[in-house]
Amino acid sequence: MSDKGKKEAYITYGELVPGYEFPPASYELDTLLVAKYIKAVDSSADKIVPPLAVAACAMTAMSGVLLLPPGVIHASQEFEFFKLVPIGATVDCHARVAQKITRTKMHMLVLELSVFDEDRERVQSGKATIVLPVERADAE
Amino acid sequence: MLSEICEGKTLPLVTREITQETINLYAEASGDFNPIHIDESFAAQTPLGGTIAHGMLILAYVSEMMIQAFGLSWASGGKLSVRFKAPARPGDTVTVSGKIDSTEHKNNILYANCSLECCNQKNETIVIGGAVVKLPWQQEKAHAWS
Repeated sequence: MSDKGKKEAYITYGELVPGYEFPPASYELDTLLVAKYIKAVDSSADKIVPPLAVAACAMTAMSGVLLLPPGVIHASQEFEFFKLVPIGATVDCHARVAQKITRTKMHMLVLELSVFDEDRERVQSGKATIVLPVERADAE
Repeated sequence: MLSEICEGKTLPLVTREITQETINLYAEASGDFNPIHIDESFAAQTPLGGTIAHGMLILAYVSEMMIQAFGLSWASGGKLSVRFKAPARPGDTVTVSGKIDSTEHKNNILYANCSLECCNQKNETIVIGGAVVKLPWQQEKAHAWS
């Protein structure tokens, strides 16, 4: 994805605290990017940006600066879509740590995502729960 | 799109085959290159025993079903909540299904509350959850939508 807001610095799981806000990132959802996404997911929605493509940007905005151990998996996901996003639009993605849960056999992160359009109107929000392998996370 | 919005109405099935190529394409499109999805030798050494599809790829299929059922109303007024129960792997055929459990009419808006599930070819549940879609109330269809 063409990320205009790519950051150089990384943060590790150990450094994350609830309330931590990831640096926002901007994405231009151009024809090429959307076509690539539509081909990958075999989608019939070709007149607008599929809402999950916007969501994928929000997830990438976060993972671009978060150095997580290999093997992280997705446990649950929530999304709410508020507004259509036209092809060619630029969106701003914001993410924050809502919860950090440490258990004996696994660690979990609950991350909140928000996406805004050029008019600063919210186009979607979401909440992702991800599970991290403990040994590797501790080794970071 | 669905011809009528009413309790019990089933949503159109969406079936997709998962291949490593599909997963790699999604990794390229989304920028998510977690090795659990794309590195077969790494994934083979994890408890999962092999590569798995991105959760967001499976959710894209769920969203496809909702777009087919509700059109642009899904993209401008949809709400999704799901849990990932099992991974989808290369070689799997996944089918997304759903139905309208109930409808609610408030302030000229119709809310369709749906349950949804994604299963593999062995009928094992991969994703389970629910969705709500806000639809404009159409008086002329009130008899069908109530």
